[in-house]
This record gives sequence, C-alpha cells and structure tokens, in this order.
Amino acid sequence: MKLRSVAHWCVGLGVAIAAPLAGAHHAVVAKFDDTKRTELRGIVTGVDWRNPHVHVFTNVARDDGSVENWAVELESTVLLRRSGWKHDTLRPGDAIRVSGPAARDGSRQVWGETVVATATNRQVYTVTDTGPLSPQAPRPTPRGADGKPLLGLADESGGYWAYPSSTVLVQMGANVQMNRDGVLARIADAPRVAPFQPWALGLYQHRQQRHLADDPGFLNCKNPGAVRQFQQPYGVQFVEDPARERIFVLIGGGNHNYRLIYMDGRDQQGQVQGDDDNPLYYGRAVAHWENDTLVVRTTGFNEDFWFTNGGLPHTDELSLVERFTRPDYDTLRYEVTVDDPGAYTQPWSSSWELRWVGGEELPVYFCQDNRS
Amino acid sequence: MKKLIRMAAAALALGVLVSIGAQEGHPLKGSWLGEWQGNSVHGDDILLILDWDGKAITGMINPGTDNMPLTRASLEPNGWVVRLEAEGKDKDGSAVRYVIDGKIENLELPNRSINGTWSSNKGRGTFTASRQ
Repeated sequence: MKLRSVAHWCVGLGVAIAAPLAGAHHAVVAKFDDTKRTELRGIVTGVDWRNPHVHVFTNVARDDGSVENWAVELESTVLLRRSGWKHDTLRPGDAIRVSGPAARDGSRQVWGETVVATATNRQVYTVTDTGPLSPQAPRPTPRGADGKPLLGLADESGGYWAYPSSTVLVQMGANVQMNRDGVLARIADAPRVAPFQPWALGLYQHRQQRHLADDPGFLNCKNPGAVRQFQQPYGVQFVEDPARERIFVLIGGGNHNYRLIYMDGRDQQGQVQGDDDNPLYYGRAVAHWENDTLVVRTTGFNEDFWFTNGGLPHTDELSLVERFTRPDYDTLRYEVTVDDPGAYTQPWSSSWELRWVGGEELPVYFCQDNRS
Repeated sequence: MKKLIRMAAAALALGVLVSIGAQEGHPLKGSWLGEWQGNSVHGDDILLILDWDGKAITGMINPGTDNMPLTRASLEPNGWVVRLEAEGKDKDGSAVRYVIDGKIENLELPNRSINGTWSSNKGRGTFTASRQ
C-alpha cells in the first residue's frame, strides 16, 4: 500500500515538473509546417482566449460521419485585440472555414492563417496591426535637464518602443532572406548570416533544420537577453533614473523582466570574481553618452539562452557594444556590434529602428499561459 | 502495480530530463557523466569536465585522485564527431593512454550524450556519457 502511494506521488511529481514543457510556447514555424496546407469546415465548440496563443476548438465532420475536434491556433490576445478582435468574435455554434499550415507532428491542429465566419463570409482574427501612424512632420527629440536625449518617457502620457524594422540579426551588408522568426529561406545562406566559427555554424544550421523548435525563449520562457530584447513584438520601455545614474530597460514580452544599465562610471565587473562569478541573461551593462548617442558596453552573459531570434549561438565571451540614438521623437535607432571570439571569427555589426508607441504602457503579455 | 511503478519511473525520468540546466553555447562544454565499460584500470564510471576557450577544447577525466587532463580534444561539426585523448597511470604507475571516439547525439537537448568507444593500451570497450 505504501509503495502504491509512493508510486502515485512520483507520477504526480514527474508530471508536475514536465508540465511546463508539455504546454510550452513555441515559434509558429516550429509547430506548423507551411508545406502541409490544410482546409477545414466546422462548428466552433470553444474559444480559449489566452496568451501565448489563442485557440479556437472546432468540430469537423468527416465523410464517414465521424466528428473530429481540431484546435485552430491564432496569435496572442494582445495582437488580436490590437486588430480589433475580442474573445467572443466567434462563439460556440458558429460555423467557420479555416485554412493554414498543419501541425508538423500530425496532430489535429492548424495555424489559423485564414478564418472565415461562414454565416457572414467575414474573415476574422486577422492581424492587421501595423503600429502607430508616423506624424506628418518629425517631432523633435525630447531632452532631459542635462540636454541629453531622453530614451524613455518625455511626459506622463506613457509610451514604449516596439515594431522593430528587423526582427532578425544578420551581419551588415549580407543579403539573406529569412522570415520574422529568423528561419532562413535557404539553409545554404547560413554561412553569410555571421562570421561563424565552424562549430557555431554547425549548431546554427542544426537549429535551422529543426525549425527553431528548441528555442529556450519559447520552450522555457528564458529571458530575451542581449540583442533579442530589441526584436520582441511586445516592445521595450526605457525608464531613466538620473538620480541613481542608471537606466532600466523593461521587457514587454517573455517573462516581463528588466535589464539594468549603469551610467555612474563603475567598472564592468561582477560581484566577486569579475564577470565569471555570476553570468547573467542581460549581462553587465555600463554606458556613457557620446554626443547624442548612448553607448552601452555589455559583458558577463551566461550561455543559457538564445541571444537573438533565429538561433545564432553565443558563448560567455560575448561582448556587445550597442549605440542608441533618438533622431526624432518617434524613432529609436539601434546599432549593435557583436564580439564573441568563442563563436565568431571577428566582430560584426547590425542595426535597425524601433518606433515609439505613445500614450500606452507595455502590453501585459507573458510567455507562460495567462489570461491577459 | 507493476504498470504504476513503470509509469512512476517514466514520469520521474521525464521530470529530471526537463530539469537539467540549459547550455546553449559550445555543445561540449559542461560536466558529462557516463561509463567506459570494461575499463579494469579506472573502473566503469567516468566523469568528464569539458570546456571551450574559443580556440581549444580542454578538460579533465575523473577530477580527484585519478584525474587525467585531456591531452587532445576535437569536435567535427559535420556529424558532431568527438575525439578525446588523455593520459593516466595505472596502480603500478605505468602510463595508460586513452582515446575516446564518439558522436554527440540529441545535440539540441541539455542532456545530450556522447556515444562511441574507448580504447587504451590496456583495453577497449563502449563509451557513453550524458551532459549533466
């Protein structure tokens, strides 16, 4: 009897530990195969309106009279809400037509690329959000009391940076086609993405061939450290604290973490033995102004995460120089030089811009399942 | 009851599997625990500590009283082929030169493994180790 209780307890413990993986978040391309197109007609049985992905459950009648329940997966509640959709846009009993790529594992799941309410022939749950409208004339860069540009809030109305012009990291000058998650259109282009060491190129190709299915940023909600925080769909917010000479960078997605940038001239060291004692997801960042550009130097990264979309490897020798400029009120230019002699043969650079989303706070989106 | 015990073991194994710390950098870096079967000189169990300094793979076999620093190590990304060489001593103090040839399997997992063979001037056998 005692053994039976222990066995029951062990089953529970194992399942409890494994549960987060079973219900894990994922890149769309990792779960759905664009070459396996599926079309469905069915009746909605329920709408699970929660992050990280909304699901519409649908009963589909087969030719033999049997009924199968399919899960139609959609974008997050944040992206759908921004596009004007609500949890009850579709209700149980509604007839729908769905088309999109099917799940790679053969399960009854489809990515809802097109969802049409049959009764009205209206396409629903499409993501049309393209970000804030650009002002007709550029607004001047906001500045603080010291005359330096403000990277964060200029007033009480709120705001953050999002809608990056690039969500992938490719060395400057390389013309390589990839999707927004960083999946290459042609795996043969891999060597041109960055100046890889042989092992790093091999690992990058392996991750690409697995469609980024092993991305710890999705599987385990690991922090979007280093470059990746500026590639996130849910943005970043700079909170400048001049009294304490530091800047907080709040992360809008992932696990809602933050990065700390010191402006007080301190050495770039760890707490006990330099950077070796406690490598971090966001590293140790120190910064100074060069005219109107904030120059941030960061080292001390751990190796527990992917530092960019697309699965480029890094080691604990990773060092970044990031340059932030705000040429006008609504534009943040981000330039980064990656120096990681453990994974790359030489330093390399990239850059992109983010747009100001004024009058709003960061969206409440967590990598883990949640109702927000 | 046997079925329940098997389920318990499987569930615990799954739990342990997903609990292993991530290591997304160089695939060999970390601690590896396993067996070199039939090793009458240093025993069947082996602990490997491997590191990558950006240029070379370095490491140690069985840190402690029987430790053996690697004298040579290589990783070929095409097939993820591993070769490790080390030199130790048997209980009489004579040299034992080891060569481990293997392949990394389940590269994408934190608990990826190296499977292959070991050989020395004193014997040979199968080798397997998993990253901890």
